[in-house]
Amino acid sequence: MKRVLLLRGAELVVFALLATVPLVVVNPYALGLLTLLAIYGILLIGLDVTVGYLGQVNLAHVAFLGLGAYAAGLAVTKFGLGMVPALAAALAVGLLLGALLALPALRLEGPQFALATLSFAALSTTALNELEGITGGAQGLSLVRPPLFGHALTPALFYWLCMVLLALVWMVMRNLLSSQWGRAFEALRDSPIATDAMGVGTYYHKVAAFSLGSGLGGLAGGLYAFNFQYLQPQSFVYDLMIILLLGVVLGGRKSLWGAFMGATVVVLLPNLLSNRLLFQIFSGAGFALALVAGLRGLVKKTTRPFQAFAPVVAMGILVVGGFFVENTEDWRKGIFALMLFSVVVGLPEGLMGFLALFLAKLFRVPPAPLPAPSDLDAVLPPRDQGDGPLLILDDLKRYFGGVKAVDGLSMKVRAGTIHGLIGPNGSGKSTVVNVISGLYTPTSGRMSLRGAALPEGSLNRVARAGVARTFQNLQLFSELTALENVMVALKGVYKVPLPLVLLGFSRIEERRARADALALLDLIGLKDQARAKAKDLTYGAQRFLEIARALARKPDLLILDEPAAGLAHPDVVQQIEIIKRVNARGITIILIEHHMDVVSELCDRVTVLDGGKVIAEGAPDEVKRHPKVIEAYLGQASGSAPSNGAEPLPA
Amino acid sequence: MLVVDDLHAGYDASEVLTGTSLTVKQGAVVALIGANGAGKTTTMRAISGVLRPSRGRVVLDGKEVQGLDASRIARLGLAHSPEGRKVFGPLSVEDNLLLGAYARLPKFFGFKAAAQADLDRVFELFPRLKDRARQAAGTLSGGEQQMLAIGRALMARPKVMLLDEPSMGLAPVIVQEVFRTIRRLKESGITLLLVEQFAKSALEVADYAYVMERGRIAVEGTPEELGRNERVIAAYLG
Repeated sequence: MKRVLLLRGAELVVFALLATVPLVVVNPYALGLLTLLAIYGILLIGLDVTVGYLGQVNLAHVAFLGLGAYAAGLAVTKFGLGMVPALAAALAVGLLLGALLALPALRLEGPQFALATLSFAALSTTALNELEGITGGAQGLSLVRPPLFGHALTPALFYWLCMVLLALVWMVMRNLLSSQWGRAFEALRDSPIATDAMGVGTYYHKVAAFSLGSGLGGLAGGLYAFNFQYLQPQSFVYDLMIILLLGVVLGGRKSLWGAFMGATVVVLLPNLLSNRLLFQIFSGAGFALALVAGLRGLVKKTTRPFQAFAPVVAMGILVVGGFFVENTEDWRKGIFALMLFSVVVGLPEGLMGFLALFLAKLFRVPPAPLPAPSDLDAVLPPRDQGDGPLLILDDLKRYFGGVKAVDGLSMKVRAGTIHGLIGPNGSGKSTVVNVISGLYTPTSGRMSLRGAALPEGSLNRVARAGVARTFQNLQLFSELTALENVMVALKGVYKVPLPLVLLGFSRIEERRARADALALLDLIGLKDQARAKAKDLTYGAQRFLEIARALARKPDLLILDEPAAGLAHPDVVQQIEIIKRVNARGITIILIEHHMDVVSELCDRVTVLDGGKVIAEGAPDEVKRHPKVIEAYLGQASGSAPSNGAEPLPA
Repeated sequence: MLVVDDLHAGYDASEVLTGTSLTVKQGAVVALIGANGAGKTTTMRAISGVLRPSRGRVVLDGKEVQGLDASRIARLGLAHSPEGRKVFGPLSVEDNLLLGAYARLPKFFGFKAAAQADLDRVFELFPRLKDRARQAAGTLSGGEQQMLAIGRALMARPKVMLLDEPSMGLAPVIVQEVFRTIRRLKESGITLLLVEQFAKSALEVADYAYVMERGRIAVEGTPEELGRNERVIAAYLG
């Protein structure tokens, strides 16, 4: 609680200070800069959603600023609308066009996505330029700032309006990003496949995030229009885009404060460049900072020489250049490039990341205590699924070109049992799992769960039908904590609709979600590491966490893909214990595993695959003696096969 | 041949190795066993330079190499076959192998001829790789990829080879084959540091073994000695 109070306190103080500025500062130029700060703050918070949370390179943000600006401008000049509807129009244009661009573009990844956004930006500038009849083309569009509720807006009043909107955006985004939505955004950055497999629609969340970020770009555009009262298409080109990216990266991604600091830099940069002395002071300070940080890193051996010296050299060029260059503004693109380079190399977490570390040391505020775990019986009620078959696969086939990875597999998994699936590498086990869980569409064949046909070819829909899975190559959300990994997947907890989430009403269910997730972490013995990032857990703990996350789906059927791969003996023992505990709650399990001792210990029934076909099925002991299984899988002496050195296992 | 002395290394804030020391004599197969998270793979990574050690010494063939780039250490005669195999998926099996010998080969012409003897040797050891020489490495089965990763390391004619978890995710019959291969390599006189979860099998082929616990060596000895150690039996040999 103390930590939250401290953060809220800091926000209040800063906004209160900002609110008093017009009462103290009479310099119109300074007030203009602060107004811009609020506008760019909104703009960068929007950009941070795509760049920081989604982790995509978005080069279209500047276009949404422009489109929002023109939307507001035209609303006032052509339609005679007032301030509020004009700003609403700017917001709506951003949201809608953002969603429209996101629908096709977000099917792309990495560089292709960046290119798609770049072409959208080029297209919209061209449109603003060429649609002279509407936008005035290169001549520009002049407008007069409309009154708000009948009051003409003085610079001070307009400043307050911008600040109030920034504060509102800040609050709404904080509520959103600290809810399940924010977690989902981060989860799909770390592993889209796992996000889908946990029943959180990847595509839907991506489009929503992009649309939201673009909407904020549009809103900032509306304010931009009323601030300058004159618009030109050339204002919204890639020069500005580079500065915006610099702002987000320099300020620090995934942070409202970071976006705010980035906005400060973006606003101050042009002024730095127009004054030689200021520029020299600034680049000198940057040089000193880079030098100190670099030397410190070298002495503490946390950085490599390149990482330490590259920013020093880059800033050094700025310092030296400052003495020779006639007019710094002519060089501004080069200057931005050097700064961006230095930040990316030397300060990858941005100013905010750097400051946060420092502040954490200074204040040493303990994180809020976690709630007591929920009762496991409430989170994962013991169930009796009867005795019949839960999952039926009938003549299932999956071909890749000419390769028959699964070739006519029929199999019944009885409810409440642990059903083993073994076979040599390349025998089709993983393909079977990927077909059942919806990653692949079957070439032919039927699958049914509890008598109803299982959805095909959609991880998300299969997950919602009650199937959860783990991944052989761990697919954890590596930047999220262990607790958050489980919370992302929690089913049936998040019910507050989006508008209320924006207003902060998700807090009630967040508490319950934390308690429920803790109960599941407790089940796998990781309760004490709830706050550790998934990537910092030991390999064994990561394997356990995969199971806890899958359990958060409260599944009828749990598919475990090599849960003991790479585990040493003590961890194997613990993993077996965990799987037994899960099965004891009535959850049916399909287990793929190469450790035969694990299979023997756990499975009620085992199906052996080779070449995509079943070569044997039965109780573990029967299967082990089957000549075909020995030949294809176990090797000549199945008894003395390398057995993880763990045979026989303690019960 | 390889001496590791008081090695410290870690990731970001967390220190994983807290003073690891071990020795691999020429022509010896040394096993490194321990629980997950004990620091076995980190030890391998810190030796080969993939991870920069924060303190301590790594001496390869009489030369201190700690802190050097991984590529420099590789050129000095250390081959690291990493956990998870890490073959170059889109490249052919043969190109994967040639890359293993990259440091020794002429850069522009005749590199294949220069490496032919080593290629033949690897193909003799793993006939299945010869059948698939032109196939993309990513399309091989897990077992074949493991063979390829070992073969790629051999191509460098290393003084010391690090082999991390060669049995991970493989069917029992393939695991047996991997250990047969290691035995053959041992007969040919290779110097090998082996990290392996199948502790029993690893001890069967090793000349000497170290047990890691929480970032340092807890127990060491010949396999016979470890096989008599109550604590080791209880924790690792079952």
